[in-house]
Amino acid sequence: MSEIVKVKKLMSRNRETTGEKIFNFVNVVIMIFISLIVLLPLLNVVSVSISSDKYVAAAQVSFWPKGLNFDSYKTVLESEKLLRSFLNTVLVTVSSLVCSLIMTCLAAYPLAYGKFVGRRVITLLILLTMWFSGGMIPTYMVINKLGLVDNLISLILVPLVTAYHVVILRSFFTSIPSSLIESARIDGANDFTILVQVVIPLAKAALATIGLWIIVGRWNEFMNPILFLKDYKKYTMQIVLRDIVLASSAAQYDIVDESKALAEQVRNATIVVTMLPVLIVYPFLQKYFVKGVMLGAVKG
Amino acid sequence: MAKNKKWTKEYLVNNFKQNKFMYLMLLPVVAYYLIIHYWSMGWLSISFFDYKLLKGFAGSKFVGLANFDKFVKGLNFGNVIGNTLLLNFYSLVFYFPMPIIFALLLNELKNLKFKKFVQTVSYMPHFLSAVVLVSIMNVMLSPSTGFLNGFLKSLGFDSIYFMGDAKWFRTVYVASVIWQETGWAAITYISTLSGIDQGLYEAAKMDGAGKLRQIWHISLPGIRETIILLLIMRVGNMINLTFEKPYLMQNALNTSVSEVLSTYTYKIGIVNGSYSQATAIGLFSSLVSLVFVLGANFLSNKVAETSLF
Repeated sequence: MSEIVKVKKLMSRNRETTGEKIFNFVNVVIMIFISLIVLLPLLNVVSVSISSDKYVAAAQVSFWPKGLNFDSYKTVLESEKLLRSFLNTVLVTVSSLVCSLIMTCLAAYPLAYGKFVGRRVITLLILLTMWFSGGMIPTYMVINKLGLVDNLISLILVPLVTAYHVVILRSFFTSIPSSLIESARIDGANDFTILVQVVIPLAKAALATIGLWIIVGRWNEFMNPILFLKDYKKYTMQIVLRDIVLASSAAQYDIVDESKALAEQVRNATIVVTMLPVLIVYPFLQKYFVKGVMLGAVKG
Repeated sequence: MAKNKKWTKEYLVNNFKQNKFMYLMLLPVVAYYLIIHYWSMGWLSISFFDYKLLKGFAGSKFVGLANFDKFVKGLNFGNVIGNTLLLNFYSLVFYFPMPIIFALLLNELKNLKFKKFVQTVSYMPHFLSAVVLVSIMNVMLSPSTGFLNGFLKSLGFDSIYFMGDAKWFRTVYVASVIWQETGWAAITYISTLSGIDQGLYEAAKMDGAGKLRQIWHISLPGIRETIILLLIMRVGNMINLTFEKPYLMQNALNTSVSEVLSTYTYKIGIVNGSYSQATAIGLFSSLVSLVFVLGANFLSNKVAETSLF
């Protein structure tokens, strides 16, 4: 013990050599540079969205707004079509969160605790989908046959249970002491009661992680909406953003018109509105997300 | 399971009675997997037919491998495969080392608060959707009002149409991957680095090794296996490319370089309505990618094994 203390004292006495000082300084500079590279594009988008025409048209707005002007947000928030797509996205995200969490629990519980005939077959049935899937067109055909084209339910149904989430939750469930489950069973509780009253309260952290994955996944989804939705009344935010910023079909939203002033600011404001929900919850998310990545890494 | 119980009728009935709630729970889950995943796998069979949506299977002609033939011998085959492989190859060369370098440097930061700040900032782009990302690129790189071109012009250069010029497509694509994923991908390396015995660094310091030599001789070997495993995975996914970003970055001016397997499948199937042809292309790419991924898995198991002993 005393040896270690001695060594540590020795270390702290001549802590930094000149070379180390230079290295640390350069390293901090590099890290600040990297942080700026990440943040500046986002700052630029926000700045343009609240700057006035004169500066935007001349491409003079960099990372600070020039000639404050919030009219673009007024335009965006007053657009009925945009508001509808926002509500569609919220609806899909929230229902997807509830349905997917319930279904993932229903899948993970029997696979964690069950000793029933057919368990291996069902596990395989679920796990195989991590490796092989029908792909874009076959999934479209299934949704088509189910009559769910142009129906928001398709966006909830297709990603309803993700095999990877089942694996994570199952491994979390198995880490719960089995004595708890056995004693509940001896008390006469059935599996549903055990799941709801014993297992789920203990698995809150894992459920939060998976829940956040689901929220961000649904909010950001683009491929499924573009495959399944035809009617613009059903569109989600991501498709509307695509139309306003990337496609030439912006005119149908009658908020971006090249002849009108503000076109560029409205584009940027729409980007901000679309990414805002994710960026607001982000500080809360990241702790759980990182935890989740570790969970996955441990399980391999 | 291992004891090979005899599945007598009595045993099965008892097992079912004991586990009826388990089966009840699994019922909706299994139904979901059968309908969404396995039924759609069944639809892969239309790649062997000349399937017409209105006529159904009964009215569609069996054509064998004609759809595959048409794709492999078609004019776009080399171009689409080449574009897919090249985008992945450039990402491998230019993006793959970034998270490693970032993790190594971040690991050296002394101030924990600053370290946490940099890490938090670096994850952020990962959570932006593909549409948001491409939209930001579009407004920032716009030749008339974009900030970057305004900057170029103020320096006396001509403005560049980054998003429209085919020459710039791959550069912009890979740069956006680096911007979005470096911080997030570094997590695995950072957690491996934190597991390295700190005594090793102190011993090296006593021996007079500078920071760079410590990184080279201690940190880098410490994450060597993680690097190899992730590299193999990456190579296994050489033929896979998500649909969203290439599709969103695609326009009439850059299709010659931006048409990849996933966007081509979408175009043939959903836009042109040739479901059989598109399914054949999808099946072709999944089979090729399955071979790649299984090969990669085999390799990574070998690596994991050798590292164990």
